[in-house]
Amino acid sequence: MFLQAFFVAVFGLAAIGFGVAVFRTASMVRSALALLFSQAAIGCMFLAMQSEFLGVLQIMMMATEMSIMAIFMVMFMMDPGGLGGMDMSHQKRFSIGAGVIAAGAAFAVALVSDWGPVTAAAPDAAMQTRELGIEMLGRSMLIFETAAVTILTAMIAATAVAIPVREPACNDDKDKNDKDREASR
Amino acid sequence: MTIAVVLLALLVCAWLLAVIEAWLTTGRLRPAAPLLAGLSHLGRESLLPRKPDRLFFETAPVLLLVVAVLGAAVLPLAPGLVIADLATGALFVNAALAYVLVALIMAGWGPNGAYAMVGGWRFLGQLIAYAMLVVMPITAVAMRAESLLTSTIVTSQAGLWNIVYQPLGFVLFFIAAMALAFRAPFDLPTAPGELAGGVDAEYTGVRLAVLRLARLLLVITLAAATTVFYLGGWHGPLLPPWAWSLIKTLAVAVSMLLAGHYLPRIREADLLGWCWKLGIPLALLNILIVGLMILVVP
Repeated sequence: MFLQAFFVAVFGLAAIGFGVAVFRTASMVRSALALLFSQAAIGCMFLAMQSEFLGVLQIMMMATEMSIMAIFMVMFMMDPGGLGGMDMSHQKRFSIGAGVIAAGAAFAVALVSDWGPVTAAAPDAAMQTRELGIEMLGRSMLIFETAAVTILTAMIAATAVAIPVREPACNDDKDKNDKDREASR
Repeated sequence: MTIAVVLLALLVCAWLLAVIEAWLTTGRLRPAAPLLAGLSHLGRESLLPRKPDRLFFETAPVLLLVVAVLGAAVLPLAPGLVIADLATGALFVNAALAYVLVALIMAGWGPNGAYAMVGGWRFLGQLIAYAMLVVMPITAVAMRAESLLTSTIVTSQAGLWNIVYQPLGFVLFFIAAMALAFRAPFDLPTAPGELAGGVDAEYTGVRLAVLRLARLLLVITLAAATTVFYLGGWHGPLLPPWAWSLIKTLAVAVSMLLAGHYLPRIREADLLGWCWKLGIPLALLNILIVGLMILVVP
């Protein structure tokens, strides 16, 4: 129990540390990968809490998601390498205020909520995977399906927007091209 | 003890693969060549490019090596001969190998070189192509075994190997594994002759030695995963189980090399097109067929 709490704390601190690093660096790739390792540390917290499937899934998903985010950050930010010393933080007072309020709210929820009796022992990992699958195919199915269809719609819409519209060839240009071709003969 | 045996098996397979690769390339069989090449790398100066992202540059080869070994850690060589028989083993292989992408992005970004950076980001595009073709065939394998435990997946093939039960899944997984290992014809991140080595371009000395060893181990891990998921793992007559695992793993790894030896490098756009327009529908079809067979065939 002590070891479990110890590792949860270590990975929790690592998650916070990497989270801070996201805003302490000027390099977009470092920032994205710091966020990746912060999320991976949360996955390790799941593992320390004997939630094997969720932990492995979190660690797996974040690797690809954050890497894809990295290339978008590189593409869209004006100083992706951070050589210009760009400051990643802005609206500092507002951010600090919002952060303190959000942290206070999270602590309040943690303290006030009735978490029920503490489970003596977690079910073994294979049983957890099975129960999670049954849960997802049961009452949680509608939520996941709704989310999945929404994301798919967004992906299709984003792709459709990103594809440039092909203008039909202008008749004048076509005539000019034909004349050029004949002239070259 | 198990850890030492598995690591030794990985190193032996990597050495054999390097010997065979050199044999295919040069036509000469020189068993000591990989060891001598490795030692010569250790003796050379390990150059540091100008203004590198030092953290990424140093971390990338080690991370690639670690993820290749981690992926192999959940793959059984024989009954009981596995470092960690996780309840999420089949998913864990995928999770560990997802960090190949992270390592290559680091290796691409770290040296502050154009060719390396292009190589690193190319692999990201490659991942968009192959990722689903790794996960979906594994899903069908887990469906048949009714478990994500890799040892259970092997025992589920005692009567009939998955290569026969779900050949479509095998073909898709084999292609995706080659793309994940960035071997020819999917060697877009390194692209010798076009990108001057790509992600390898700026690495020299001991760092390059680690990077090359990691690439060899990655191929072995993926070949071992193919063996466990589709070729019945340790099952086979006469020889001891571990011997069958090693023979099958090496056979898959060599077939990957041979395929790459005779096929031209594929374009990134073509790879994406083929994988999404043909590969993913076929992978879904494979899941459907396997599902029907599970329901219909007792």
